Amino acid sequence: MVDEGTGLLAIGAGLAVGLAGIGAGLGEKDVGAAAVGAITEDMSLFGKCIVLIVLPETIVIFGLVIAFMILFTMS
Amino acid sequence: MLGRKGGKKGNYAYAVAKVKAKKASLLKGDDYAKMLMMSLPEISRFISESGYQKEMAELAGRIEGIDLIEHATYRNMAGIFSGILHSTQGELREMMSAYLTKWDMWNLKVILRGKTYGVDTESIKEDLVPAGRLDTSMLDKLLSMETNKDIIAEFERMKHLEIPPEVINAYNADGHLRDIEDYLDKLYYRRLLATTDPSSRPKRLFQDFVRREIDTINLETILVLKREGIRGDDVMKFIIPDGKQIDKKLATQLANADCIAAAANDLAQLDFYEDIKEALDAETGSLKDLVAGMKRYHIRQANKLASLYPLSVIPILDFMIHKQIEVENIRTIARGLESGIDKETIKGLLVI
Repeated sequence: MVDEGTGLLAIGAGLAVGLAGIGAGLGEKDVGAAAVGAITEDMSLFGKCIVLIVLPETIVIFGLVIAFMILFTMS
Repeated sequence: MLGRKGGKKGNYAYAVAKVKAKKASLLKGDDYAKMLMMSLPEISRFISESGYQKEMAELAGRIEGIDLIEHATYRNMAGIFSGILHSTQGELREMMSAYLTKWDMWNLKVILRGKTYGVDTESIKEDLVPAGRLDTSMLDKLLSMETNKDIIAEFERMKHLEIPPEVINAYNADGHLRDIEDYLDKLYYRRLLATTDPSSRPKRLFQDFVRREIDTINLETILVLKREGIRGDDVMKFIIPDGKQIDKKLATQLANADCIAAAANDLAQLDFYEDIKEALDAETGSLKDLVAGMKRYHIRQANKLASLYPLSVIPILDFMIHKQIEVENIRTIARGLESGIDKETIKGLLVI
């Protein structure tokens, strides 16, 4: 049985990753759609588009870092 | 929920990226300079290597020379516009679909003009752009009709519209198509503005763009008719309502001005005055320069708004305008060279 404070920290860690994931997903939705549109017209843009598609994913890393910091605080 | 919302709003990111990639492959100013130095077969080969290869290959077995270039360029444009329409969704598709109906009006005008002047069916087909709601088979059906009356009746049935009897009577009375053409233009813009209620920002942007387009058409109409010496009231009959800067009051002022120079004072307050200032000069300016000036303004506005609102309908309209100008430029060069017009004159007719 964990105490209430630890539970809230765990929820915070979950929210940090989850909300960052949703944000990245929303960002990636438009970038991905645009990338597919550009690639269908010009295949040579594939490399550049891949870089742009993964860019919003960095947001998740920030969320993950915050989540780890919370978890380390817990321990 | 997000998917449904996105679908309803339109897939702006996908469609805009697609047209931006297409726009990058359009011909540049240098390409036109090169084309002016070429012969017709060389131009055919050059455009085949510049995005028109599919249409050129399809038609090369049946037609050649200038006919091949004219037919292939319009067919290519129609294919690209239809492709864009099919790749859009939601409100974006609604707007594109409404905007592209201008080609239905264009096609009807081409068919009526062709039939009136006894042009053969194949030559009429060269100028048709099946990018609207009427596809090739529907246009063929219109072309197969014997009289203009039948064509108009069939068009009304296809488009679910009714041209008022007074317009038809005016046409029957003097045989001039101007009343029908004017009615079609007004109907197109009225329907276009009516179908896009300005409740959302993308639709407001779209309406603004269309209303600017109306301004350029109206101004061109006023100045052309004024140069012909037509009276103010008669000029006003051809004015399309709901322009952005040229409202009814200003249009009446312009139409009733004594001469073009007097009208210039009224025009000085408009955004596009700088582009047409020189063309308005009674001695040195020409109608050709005026039309070119208006087109340049329209392109610059489209370019500017497309940069300001990258995820909107404007970049798509911007591409369509550029594509249409590219096709018109190719046809001008080909037709000019074929007719033996001097290269400097052809260059002056291009919009670059």
